[in-house]
Amino acid sequence: MFQNNREGLALALPAALFTAILFLLPVGLLLSEAFKIGGQWSLQGYVDFASKPLNQTVFLRTLKLGFLVALTSAIIGYACAFCIVNLDGKNRGRVFGLVVLPLMISPVARTYAWIVILGRTGIVNDAILALGLSDTPIRILFTETAVFLGLLQLFLPLMIISLVSALENLPKDVIPAARVLGASWIQVFTKIILPLTKDGLVMGGTLVFTGSLTAYITPAILGGSKVLMLETLLYQRVNVANDFVSAGIIATILITMSFGANLLLKRIAKARS
Amino acid sequence: MTSKWTSRLIIGLTLTFLIGPFFIIIFAGMSAGDFMTFPPDGLSLKWYMKVFTVESFRESFALSLFLAIFGTIAALILGVPAAYAISRYNIPYAETIKTVVAAPIIVPGIIVGLALLRYLVVPLSFTVTLALFMAHTALVLPYAVRVVSSSLNNLRSDMEEAAVLLGCSRIGAFMRVVLPNIQSGVLAAFILGFVTSFNQVPVSLFLSGPGVRTLPIDMLSYMEITYDPSVAALSALLALLSVAIVFLAEKFLGFSRYV
Amino acid sequence: MKLLLAMTTALGLVTGAAHAQDKTITISVYSFGMDAMKAAIFDPFEEVCDCEVVVETGNSVERMAKIEANAANPVVDMAVMSSHDALALARKGLLQSMDVSQIPSHADLYESAKDPIGDHLAIGYGFYATSIVYRSDLVEINSWADLLSDELKGRVALPNITGTQGPLTLLMLGKAMGTDEITFSDTIDAVGEHADDIVTFYNRSSELAQLMMQEEVIAAPVGRFAWSRFSGAALPFKWAEPEEGQAGGMNVMLMTKGNGNEELTYQFIDYWLSTEVQTRIAELKLDSPANAKVVVSDEIAESLTYGADLINSLTTLDSGAIIDNRDAWLDRWNEKVVN
Repeated sequence: MFQNNREGLALALPAALFTAILFLLPVGLLLSEAFKIGGQWSLQGYVDFASKPLNQTVFLRTLKLGFLVALTSAIIGYACAFCIVNLDGKNRGRVFGLVVLPLMISPVARTYAWIVILGRTGIVNDAILALGLSDTPIRILFTETAVFLGLLQLFLPLMIISLVSALENLPKDVIPAARVLGASWIQVFTKIILPLTKDGLVMGGTLVFTGSLTAYITPAILGGSKVLMLETLLYQRVNVANDFVSAGIIATILITMSFGANLLLKRIAKARS
Repeated sequence: MTSKWTSRLIIGLTLTFLIGPFFIIIFAGMSAGDFMTFPPDGLSLKWYMKVFTVESFRESFALSLFLAIFGTIAALILGVPAAYAISRYNIPYAETIKTVVAAPIIVPGIIVGLALLRYLVVPLSFTVTLALFMAHTALVLPYAVRVVSSSLNNLRSDMEEAAVLLGCSRIGAFMRVVLPNIQSGVLAAFILGFVTSFNQVPVSLFLSGPGVRTLPIDMLSYMEITYDPSVAALSALLALLSVAIVFLAEKFLGFSRYV
Repeated sequence: MKLLLAMTTALGLVTGAAHAQDKTITISVYSFGMDAMKAAIFDPFEEVCDCEVVVETGNSVERMAKIEANAANPVVDMAVMSSHDALALARKGLLQSMDVSQIPSHADLYESAKDPIGDHLAIGYGFYATSIVYRSDLVEINSWADLLSDELKGRVALPNITGTQGPLTLLMLGKAMGTDEITFSDTIDAVGEHADDIVTFYNRSSELAQLMMQEEVIAAPVGRFAWSRFSGAALPFKWAEPEEGQAGGMNVMLMTKGNGNEELTYQFIDYWLSTEVQTRIAELKLDSPANAKVVVSDEIAESLTYGADLINSLTTLDSGAIIDNRDAWLDRWNEKVVN
């Protein structure tokens, strides 16, 4: 650690000021519009917003989908990350590269593919009919299921990446040691892996949850106007009704939820150790 | 070894879910028909060819490339010193600074675009390109700081301290000792930033002007006109480009360590 | 430093490039058929005026928001919109009342296109009919009420209320149900009761076309301008002629107030409305002509909303009524249909 703090501040401030002035300030101004009704400071905008049944539905749906996507990616993520970490060096690099790969592909393209996959004549329905699971094709497009799948595919890599780096830092011999000493896999997971990788989980969880809340393309294309999420509702309010008050309110809700999730996860992680 | 097979199965299923849609896009782009279908009705490369003839794709590709390259460079110019300060100095308000710099990750992109349009582009006559450039820089900055920080944290600080004790200036120590050791981290941050910026959608939804439109937005508005498979073809081409970049980065840098 | 220098130069290049030519007109148009429109109107006009035509596209609400945002210093000189969107802009004082003596072709237009929203704040340039496209091998559509029939359960899409076709669909559904209430309350409630049977409320006709091609949807109301997407397809699509008739509307041109580029704007508007250009656009099936002097073959007329008889038979919604009731429709829709 260097002790010359003025020098340190001089290095860090340009980045902080840039973001604060050119990014956070305009965003803050927009958010503040939600508290101004007819030039007066007021919470009436929030009261009106909360009283509309559609807004309540959309809020709960967004929260629910964000939570489900984060939870599902944590489950798949642990299983997958654990397998990846146990691969030998070369294969590990390859598999990891393949996991990272989708992140490099435009979300427009990735979401677009699901229209074809989930459609009435798509491969999922072909499989369902062939396996005799249903007599008629199932409607998946424009349902919460479609949005859930799209979001999961979009954000699962972030969870796997976070967990892989957390698991890599796990000392190599703790798990075999615990097994030798008679710990069950569940005990190994809850007593050793979870506490030692909680930072990765918090990081991954925050990224996935936040990503799901703020994704626009996926709910727009796979959910459409029937399965509105907060982000698509926001776009609709601005674009259809020029309603900046609702836009500011939705943005505030989204940001609060993201921050809240991050704090909550950190708190839980701390309490565990 | 059953556990080995379980492990392969898990990885295989996950990768199918993650990468399968990508293959579908490649083949949907090869459809001979006028709409996206899978399996495609007849094979043809006509949509792949068409991508290159659409003028707006070329223009928006150039803009997106410009934003991704220079936005990321700007983010690194701001981000590397910040990461260094955070990891090596005991600066006051370090937590606040970290939070401010990381904030763009959690602000919904639509809001960013709307806010910049409303408070910078309109009243202060910023050009849309400049607003896009700033937004992309701010968006990439958190990644730059994070990746470079993690490289710095892996580098023992006593090396630079030794260099300083031996009479090297602080900047000299950074240039000669630190930078060579974190250069692959910086490059990894560049690639991550590039990709983040290049694929960015929501910020640009409101930030588009006459003749100024990023590639993803152009693809979306192309889809407003027609759902023909050329968007699938273009997506596939872009994906292959990304794959090539990542493959090279992985080969020469071990890129995945930094993501 | 070098890097910074390179960066600023590059920025300058990108931002400066658009202002290369000194005479420029910036127009805001629908993205539909963009390549063909460019070839049929914008490129030839560049030849005529020796100027550059900068085109901005997007959906109309987005384009309106931008015109409003830039009101003090208009970026866009001329825009095309639906007549009610134009009226909304006019009520905000963003439009220039046009001097039609500067637009010789104006005299050739159908009467209803000459001054659709009053004060010469807009001029109609194209009509469209709205009816139902359906798969004639799978269903038969005789009435707007068929959209909510059991036969179409789970296979029908409706236009979203936020677009232009949505309110027209509600108007015709109401007519079929025997109500002409402009609040659409009974109609919206009826749609709400069937919400689960409706695949989606589409926003763009391209989206609908994809859904109909992959057989997700077999019937949906759509504007005639999108008919060519279906008529040329391999699947048997048909344009319904429901007993309640077809709905319709008009798209208009407008000039932004204080754009400082009036002369070139008049020239461009006149060019677009001229018999020559309107005929060219009609023959390419891009838009149905508002110029009454345009004569096209029967084969072309079949794909368009062409001729005084058809145009006069369309059930239309008053622009003012749309603007005045839109918020209430949307609230009720949000509560009863998509909630």
